[in-house]
Amino acid sequence: MSANVGLSVLVGCAFLLLAKGSNWAAAEELGHQRAKVIEPSIAPAALIAPQLEDPAAPQDPPGTGLSLFLRNGCGACHTIRGTEARGTIGPDLSHIGSRTAIGAGILPNSEEAIARFIARPDLQKPGVKMPAFDMLPQTEIQTIARYLKALQ
Amino acid sequence: MPGSRVRRSPKPSSASDEKDAINRVKDQPIMIRLKHVVFGAVGLPVIVLLGAWIGFFNVGASSGHWKVTALFLQLAMRSAVRTYALAVDAPKTLDRRGLPAAAGHFARGCAICHGEPGEPRSPAVMRMLPQPPNLALTVGDWTDAQLFRIVKHGIRFTGMPAWPARDRDDEVWAMVAFLRELPKLDANEFRALAFDAGQATGGEREPAAPAALADCRRCHGSDGQGRGDLVPALAGQKQAYLFASLHAFASGDRTSGFMALPVTGVDPADLAALARHFAAQRPLSADRDQVPAEMVNKGQQIAEIGIPERNVPACSGCHIGSDKNPIYPHLDGQHAAYLERQLKLFRSENRGGTQFWRIMATAAQRLTDDDIRAVSAYFSKRSEGPQ
Ligand code: HEC
Ligand code: HEC
Ligand code: HEC
Ligand code: HEC
Repeated sequence: MSANVGLSVLVGCAFLLLAKGSNWAAAEELGHQRAKVIEPSIAPAALIAPQLEDPAAPQDPPGTGLSLFLRNGCGACHTIRGTEARGTIGPDLSHIGSRTAIGAGILPNSEEAIARFIARPDLQKPGVKMPAFDMLPQTEIQTIARYLKALQ
Repeated sequence: MPGSRVRRSPKPSSASDEKDAINRVKDQPIMIRLKHVVFGAVGLPVIVLLGAWIGFFNVGASSGHWKVTALFLQLAMRSAVRTYALAVDAPKTLDRRGLPAAAGHFARGCAICHGEPGEPRSPAVMRMLPQPPNLALTVGDWTDAQLFRIVKHGIRFTGMPAWPARDRDDEVWAMVAFLRELPKLDANEFRALAFDAGQATGGEREPAAPAALADCRRCHGSDGQGRGDLVPALAGQKQAYLFASLHAFASGDRTSGFMALPVTGVDPADLAALARHFAAQRPLSADRDQVPAEMVNKGQQIAEIGIPERNVPACSGCHIGSDKNPIYPHLDGQHAAYLERQLKLFRSENRGGTQFWRIMATAAQRLTDDDIRAVSAYFSKRSEGPQ
């Protein structure tokens, strides 16, 4: 009888250990999650609100297409002749308005398509080397697109 | 016990037979039968659960663990740390540039449990089970890799927390470097390291500044110049960038164990006031480190032209000039070591940030370590306006 009880306990312990063993992996994960939870959280509403409006707000008035183009750093990668934009990573945009297509020929050349390309080039053309600018206010993107389309 | 296997043996007719049967059973190799398995797998957990439910186990900390439990837990903890630390790749020499930030973090994040030089642990903490050790006395027991493992992952079931940010091993190593210093520090030396000197005199305290400012000064200094090469100077930085960055730390979009704690629980309105405070401070005087001129020249090339053949854009397109997006930070006069660290974090995609961080991650993608050193040296020497 004592052998019976002893065996039961042993097997039980083995099971517990097994269960614990598989827990370890899970516990590692949990540990990670916990580390994440410790990261402070602030009410989401508070987060969205300020960004660009607050004291933070741009001092200069909403600019022309060119000043927005320069202000957001497009000039680091693109050239527009006659301006301080002299980047060479991306295509020269000096006459982009007169081209028949953009994005290496995959998009029609319209103000609308240019705006869509600026916001999410990766959606228009997978593997593209231009970062997305969809965090810019839509009006700024449109102003830039209108300016670019007008560059003949 | 009646009803056992012996009674049911085939021929229980005579007493001697019965004896034989008993011996036979005894001699049989012990076999694990289905019922053992069922009893063990189902019965034991049920009993343990029942014990827990009726409150059999004492979870009170006052009486301490039984000696054997305590020994077992210590053994398990030490062995686990030793084993897991084998996978840790420890640097040959610890980088000491992060000491001020680590000391500042220790004062707020660790001293409450472990005490600090000249400040004994509180009686409440002494009653914790297990008791947080006085680290000045125990760090010698551990290797660097083991300390790293403990500080990064914490110790389960003891209250010892994990590092508050993932993927910031650099910060954990800075803390390990500090723990190595700890036994050598007396109260004054510790305070000199963990607190800003200007703080004692109140610095340039202004009435409108939120209470959290005192906390910021421990690491960023009363003058906002950043204490130690790895704590960024904030003085004169763009207000919008400071503000957006504080939100990024608070929301976890930018991870840093050093910054996670100070922004916890600070009111968003106060964050705006803090950003305003630092932005209004007089900007930085350039770094004074001696760097070879050719390196600075190479850095200037990258900053002004980029590296077109490797698709590295000119940094100046976003970081130089007063007409740039107010979220794009100034880099002029920033500590070179800090710039290097951030660029490496961007390159490995471990640096989040404001909504704009991806742009910067793209720009940093193809920089080599040499490029990073050069361009960081250049910006740390640069100052806006008339050169
Ligand atoms: C990091 C460098 C980089 C930045 C910054 C950048 N671009 Fe680009 N851009 C590129 C590259 C590279 C391409 C070429 C994409 C392709 O076709 O594969 C491109 C393509 C374009 C095109 C399509 C051009 C064509 O000939 O089809 C437009 C329009 C454009 N960018 C506008 C912008 C605007 C506006 C900004 C600023 C908001 C900007 N870019 C910022 C790298 C950049
Ligand atoms: C909430 C209390 C608490 C805080 C906060 C805390 N610890 Fe601990 N720490 C403990 C306890 C409890 C132990 C003992 C665990 C054991 O003995 O099993 C411990 C153990 C350690 C050890 C192992 C020491 C040894 O010899 O056993 C190190 C190293 C350590 N802590 C570092 C830190 C650092 C660095 C920080 C700040 C980032 C920190 N701790 C914050 C409670 C805390
Ligand atoms: C324990 C030291 C410590 C304390 C306290 C601290 N900081 Fe920091 N802070 C740092 C470090 C280190 C970094 C760099 C983070 C990184 O490596 O990502 C940083 C980064 C920042 C940044 C980002 C700067 C940039 O150029 O990207 C801001 C803004 C900032 N801190 C503001 C504050 C404010 C405001 C407070 C007070 C509420 C504060 N810090 C308290 C150490 C500290
Ligand atoms: C297209 C615009 C753009 C270009 C080009 C660019 N950056 Fe940035 N950079 C940013 C933005 C936006 C941030 C802020 C990221 C955040 O925290 O959200 C930033 C942040 C940084 C930071 C972190 C500063 C801090 O205080 O933490 C460093 C360092 C940096 N950039 C260096 C460079 C270098 C070096 C180059 C040139 C190789 C470069 N950048 C080119 C947009 C750009």
